[in-house]
Amino acid sequence: MPLTHRGREILNRAPGGHLRSTAGVGCEILRHEELCVGCGTCAKNCPTGASERGGFFDVQQLLDAPEGSRRGELGAALRVLMRHEPDGPVEVPERVTVYRTVVYDAEKCMGCGTCARNCPADAIEARPPRADAAPSPAPAEGVSA
Amino acid sequence: MAAATPDGGDRSIVAFCCRECAYAAADASANARTPLPPTVRLVLVPCTGRVSPLHLLKALAEGADGVMVAGCLLGQCHYREGNFNAVDRVAFVQRLLKSVGVEPERCRMFTMSAGEPPKFVAAVREMDRVIGGLPPLPRSSYGDRTGQREATAAAASRTARPLEPTRGAA
Repeated sequence: MPLTHRGREILNRAPGGHLRSTAGVGCEILRHEELCVGCGTCAKNCPTGASERGGFFDVQQLLDAPEGSRRGELGAALRVLMRHEPDGPVEVPERVTVYRTVVYDAEKCMGCGTCARNCPADAIEARPPRADAAPSPAPAEGVSA
Repeated sequence: MAAATPDGGDRSIVAFCCRECAYAAADASANARTPLPPTVRLVLVPCTGRVSPLHLLKALAEGADGVMVAGCLLGQCHYREGNFNAVDRVAFVQRLLKSVGVEPERCRMFTMSAGEPPKFVAAVREMDRVIGGLPPLPRSSYGDRTGQREATAAAASRTARPLEPTRGAA
């Protein structure tokens, strides 16, 4: 859908918004929450504010974390103690910094892949936009029939 | 690790004590020959800000029935704000425990100054009393990976075994 003049003005004012239609933007962002270490680098570098450090922590992330990592050790200890599956996200006190779940808003994301390039844990994957996917689905069946 | 108590219970409590206040208070109480409950194990840390959620949960997972963090009075930390960090981490661990069905009272924070040995003794006794009233922790009874680990260890020993006869034969 073409943008109105006012719409384009608003987009240009948003940080990084003028890049929205250029090549190299529009990657598909895949987050692997089990690998995330909660450092917040993605949130720090995000030009549009699509990734933010939330005030909650999903306990399941500890249990899914790979063995040997810091979160994995915490998850192993928790697994020994637990009486039932975690109830859901817990609220994180202000001074606990690392154990936070990053909130990712796909609406704000323009797919620049900055988060994936900066992630120290390789927990974010940016898949380039597929050039062949945009045209109409191949009418191979119609041709053969 | 567990010590037999006068009331017949087997339990152990790990107390992370800050060097500046709580450990000094514990030292003074020992000099005054005040008996501490035999269940408590003191761990000296330079500041309670050193204690991370991993310390607390791992102590619980590896045999402690309760963990306590004892530090300076709020606002009197010798490293300015270490004990504020500890307060939040203890609160976080309590929420973690609660979300998986474990009593949050098993992890608690106490504050005292170096000149208050009775307060330290009272804190330890309080912790001992509370833990004594809780049901035992169900360790590894749910969703643990020990079964998996034993299976991999058995597989490893199975692959290792054929080497021995050949070595003996040669």
